[in-house]
Amino acid sequence: MGYPYSHPSEVSIISKHFGDPDARTLDGWMKNGGYDGLKKALSMSPEEVIEIVKNSGLRGRGGAGFPTGLKWSFMPKDSGKPHYLLCNADESEPGTFKDRELIRWTPHQLIEGCIIGAYAIGAEQVYIYCRGEFFEANQVLGKAVEDAYEAGILGENIFGSGSTIELTVHAGAGAYICGEETGLMNSLEGKRGEPRIKPPFPAAAGVFGLPTTINNVETLSVIPHIVREGSDWYRQWGTEKSPGTKLFCVSGHVERPGNYELPLGFPLRKLIEDVCGGIKDKKNLKAVIPGGSSVPILSKEQVESCLLSYEGVQEAGSMLGCASVIVMDENTDIVHQVTRMASFYAHESCGQCTPCREGTAWVTNILKKMEAGQGKEEDLETLIELTDQMTGTTICVLSDSVAAPVQSSIEHFRGEYQKLLNNGGGYD
Amino acid sequence: MTEHNSTPKDDQYVNLVVDDVSISVEKGTTILEAAKQAGTEVPHYCYHAGLSSPAQCRLCLVEVEGAPKLMPSCTTVVTEGQVVRTDSDVATKMRQGVLEFYLVNHPLDCPICDQSGECDLQDFVFSEGRKHGRSRAAKRVLGRDDFGGDVLFYGDRCVMCTRCVRFMEEVEEKPLLSVVERGNRSVIDTFFDQGLGDAEWAGNIVDICPVGALVSKDFLYKARAWDLEHTPSICPNCSMGCNIDIHTRDNVVQRFKPRENKDVNGHWMCDYGRSRYEWLNEGKRIEEPLSTTSDGGLQTSLNWEEALIGLGEKLKSSGGRLKVIASPLSSNEDVGATVRLIQALGGGEIVFRSATTSKEVPLPGFKGLKRTKYLAPNIEGLKVLGAKYVGDEKGSGGLQAISQHTEIVLVMGDRLEDQTEKFGSEAELLIYLGSHFSEALQEADFIFPINTFAETSGTFTNCDRRVQKFSGSLEGPCEARPAWSVLNDLISIITGSESSQNVADAFNQLSGTSEVFAGTSYSDLMPQGFKLKHDPQMTRD
Amino acid sequence: MSSPKKNPGWAGNTGEYELTEADVRGTAFVGKRPLEGGHPSASATYPYMLAAKDPEAPLFEGPYLERFEKILTRYPKKRAALLPTLSLAQEIRGYVSPETMDEVASLLELSSAYVRGVTTFYTMYNKQPVGKYLIQVCTNISCNLCGAEDVLKAFLKETGTALGEISLDGNFSVIEAECLAGCGFPTCVQINSKYFENVESQDVGELLRTLVAELSIDSVKEKGDE
Repeated sequence: MGYPYSHPSEVSIISKHFGDPDARTLDGWMKNGGYDGLKKALSMSPEEVIEIVKNSGLRGRGGAGFPTGLKWSFMPKDSGKPHYLLCNADESEPGTFKDRELIRWTPHQLIEGCIIGAYAIGAEQVYIYCRGEFFEANQVLGKAVEDAYEAGILGENIFGSGSTIELTVHAGAGAYICGEETGLMNSLEGKRGEPRIKPPFPAAAGVFGLPTTINNVETLSVIPHIVREGSDWYRQWGTEKSPGTKLFCVSGHVERPGNYELPLGFPLRKLIEDVCGGIKDKKNLKAVIPGGSSVPILSKEQVESCLLSYEGVQEAGSMLGCASVIVMDENTDIVHQVTRMASFYAHESCGQCTPCREGTAWVTNILKKMEAGQGKEEDLETLIELTDQMTGTTICVLSDSVAAPVQSSIEHFRGEYQKLLNNGGGYD
Repeated sequence: MTEHNSTPKDDQYVNLVVDDVSISVEKGTTILEAAKQAGTEVPHYCYHAGLSSPAQCRLCLVEVEGAPKLMPSCTTVVTEGQVVRTDSDVATKMRQGVLEFYLVNHPLDCPICDQSGECDLQDFVFSEGRKHGRSRAAKRVLGRDDFGGDVLFYGDRCVMCTRCVRFMEEVEEKPLLSVVERGNRSVIDTFFDQGLGDAEWAGNIVDICPVGALVSKDFLYKARAWDLEHTPSICPNCSMGCNIDIHTRDNVVQRFKPRENKDVNGHWMCDYGRSRYEWLNEGKRIEEPLSTTSDGGLQTSLNWEEALIGLGEKLKSSGGRLKVIASPLSSNEDVGATVRLIQALGGGEIVFRSATTSKEVPLPGFKGLKRTKYLAPNIEGLKVLGAKYVGDEKGSGGLQAISQHTEIVLVMGDRLEDQTEKFGSEAELLIYLGSHFSEALQEADFIFPINTFAETSGTFTNCDRRVQKFSGSLEGPCEARPAWSVLNDLISIITGSESSQNVADAFNQLSGTSEVFAGTSYSDLMPQGFKLKHDPQMTRD
Repeated sequence: MSSPKKNPGWAGNTGEYELTEADVRGTAFVGKRPLEGGHPSASATYPYMLAAKDPEAPLFEGPYLERFEKILTRYPKKRAALLPTLSLAQEIRGYVSPETMDEVASLLELSSAYVRGVTTFYTMYNKQPVGKYLIQVCTNISCNLCGAEDVLKAFLKETGTALGEISLDGNFSVIEAECLAGCGFPTCVQINSKYFENVESQDVGELLRTLVAELSIDSVKEKGDE
């Protein structure tokens, strides 16, 4: 159920034990059917496991929404090289806080998902790259991993199956860009976490140059349930193109912010008004960011009919991303928030590609000047052109992510920018 | 470009169209390299043929029909039937946009920047950039950093292509440079004050830096790139035979730069070789042929004809054995001529001296490239033609026997710096062919001015027995001539045979002089030189 | 409509709840984690921002050396152990100085310039010494919408420092942080290894007093607690 609040609309699959300290322990997890999914997976062939995941239609929950079963099937079949499974627990997207909850309340769920995933893709090594700031989550996860080793669930001959799966928890050191899959691989290898070009794709040459699959925490947390209950079971929720449930992280100006597990396709308006208790202090809604700071901002009108699935949000004019819903009320200073987001990207840019390195800082600078009343009329055009120049021209999409809030806010809230320009005196 | 006119779909080749030009290239070629063959230079920074390709400068993006995004041409491999456009609206607009970002923090240093005139940023912006930048923010200021050795770093000008970092890591295998900080705070630096320490190949990062961020201290403010003449030559400072360009202005050598040769030195040369060129600018040359008068002492000037005839007559009537001290800077043609002169006079020997070091200095990332122990360019050439190495590791000594020789001594190029004015006092004839005077020439009978290797053409043989051509465009004293030409004239006077007066003929005569050169021809020399046959009886030192 | 719950998180006590750490985290997870790293698979997860720091401590001795060696076994190449090793060095010394970079470089057979490049890339490695408590206030969008900037101002005022500086008594450094993934509980503040959630400006004074009180309880020798 949701944390810290729950709601009857929820479908609690992976969030079932949020708030229950007992579920962290191995016994507590096994009491609740834990590791049954793993036992079932071990009784099947790896190909069969991949089939189940494929048929369930599960899409990557880290933001890209790429079909997980399909991704697993990209791993080479007879390469003779060691395979790696990486779990991306470097949750740094502003507005997102689901992975932290998943790790600190149900670490064994994640471990189970990792082992099943590793078994399915033929990997003997699993790394969970956990964000460095997550000290508590890291500690909880570390203890859970130790318990799993002690109980023979990790290591050699897991559950007597003959398979060996080693897992290591690797703590990051504070870089948003390490949440990008190739950036994560470079960081794991002890380098600067700068993204790599694709091709070569991770399934061909990933971490240490070997075939690698990388999945988000939430994706791997669902796996044990899908394997245990079957792919049809998972499809009973959600839509045709976006099956299953998703953890929605709602933050901002709502009465009850927090994580809620809901079927995909849930109406955004209902999420805000019903599940989260409406806007705080009964204010009016101004704008919503449906999927973390890297997706376009939705205006009030667009929110009305928006359904929270991958295709639904796209129709409404934005992207579902990692489903971090940030709600802004009528008193929000949009320009200020967009500036803060732009400065976040400027701070976190790795600096490899010139459009991003110079562009993020430049865009932030223009926005700050506008906020201070020193903007010029042509600045709005410049912002749009610069963000266009930054889209599609870089190795990773951090630079494209700046375009989303800037362009969508200028489109929907031009008046606020205009007011600042009118009040200011320009600068030279 | 490989000429290929058999069936279009051959397994080894791929056909594609770049900017309406159809080409056929080897499988595995990148679009950027393929485009060169179609006559299109795609602008780029981070790509370099001798380094890895991170595709991070984002300048080489091209439009490929059917691809959803612009593709980086430095890493995208060609596929059959690809249609590539580098000049479409989308591609040119993208480049203009990316160039604008490059100029946001780049200082307008052109008037004081050494790279001006050979700067990729200047060239690209001039042809495709916006007329005016739109940034009104203050530019980042980093100042100048001394990286040690010959390298200065102007951080403001850096375009973060990371070629220098990758060179030090992948080619010299001494990762002394790294990118420090992140985002727009990033800057290239060494480990605090450690600098480039004992790196022996760091000068190459100045070459590969596309802008004026890394510059040579030696060359700082010396000359403008557009004033320089480039002459293809061979580095004279060790036996590796790295291909170089000699850059001169107003007949003064300004610097050496490496020239690409994928079989010898790739794109690189070492700092030791790079830094030793000043001696080519030394004045105080021997200006004209000189000889001592019969009562000794005064030296009179002769013209060449008088001098050569005078010497030739003396040699004909002498009947003595000829001992030659050659210089390892002598070309193959020079040494070949001394061999024939010895034959013409009925016997003799050739020795040479050279400075050496105790260790080779390899460049780990380019197989076979090293600074050799012998610090001169034609050691192998001399050995192959029968000369013997004498003296110590400083290039001194070893001349006891010759200094007591009573017959004919010919010194060619060796400056005899360690010998006294009594040198050659026992000799019947002491002949000196050299570019500069020496203290040890008091007993010389004939002194002839010759050209340095930078003033003429010829060949050197490197440590791997590769014969390579050098050319020179410096002008020496007007009476100076190549040594082989002087010797060929002497031989012609002694034997009556024809004297070849162009370097091609002089080279081709080597095939008659030495078995190892049999079957070779001057026209085979370009572009990569060629290797001589291996003679198992020659011992290699 | 009930007001938002205050999530005690790991701090245990931010006012509304009188929960002990055991109540929140379960008894199995309370208390010290072994200095020598426990099972090698989890050796990199020990909390490493302690109030007590020793910039002169050797790298590595005793249980720390054991932990370092365990970490090395988890990666096929020494270079991959760089981040955990730097974190371990920072745990002991409090920040990563040039000397530390040099020592870590020789331990892992890397060049010092390379280690400097990696260290300066990541935000969590302190390149300068910091106060005993490093206070990181998230001011990114979700917390910003709910008053994070006021919380930041309150911290600066109450500690009497400027952003990024160490307070006169050496106890506190205050910096802005990017999203800490506590967006449901604005404003999220990380102090050393602990998350403090639902922090409002009026809570700041009390929070700081609690921290100072803890300093005098924990002696320098008690490495392993916060």
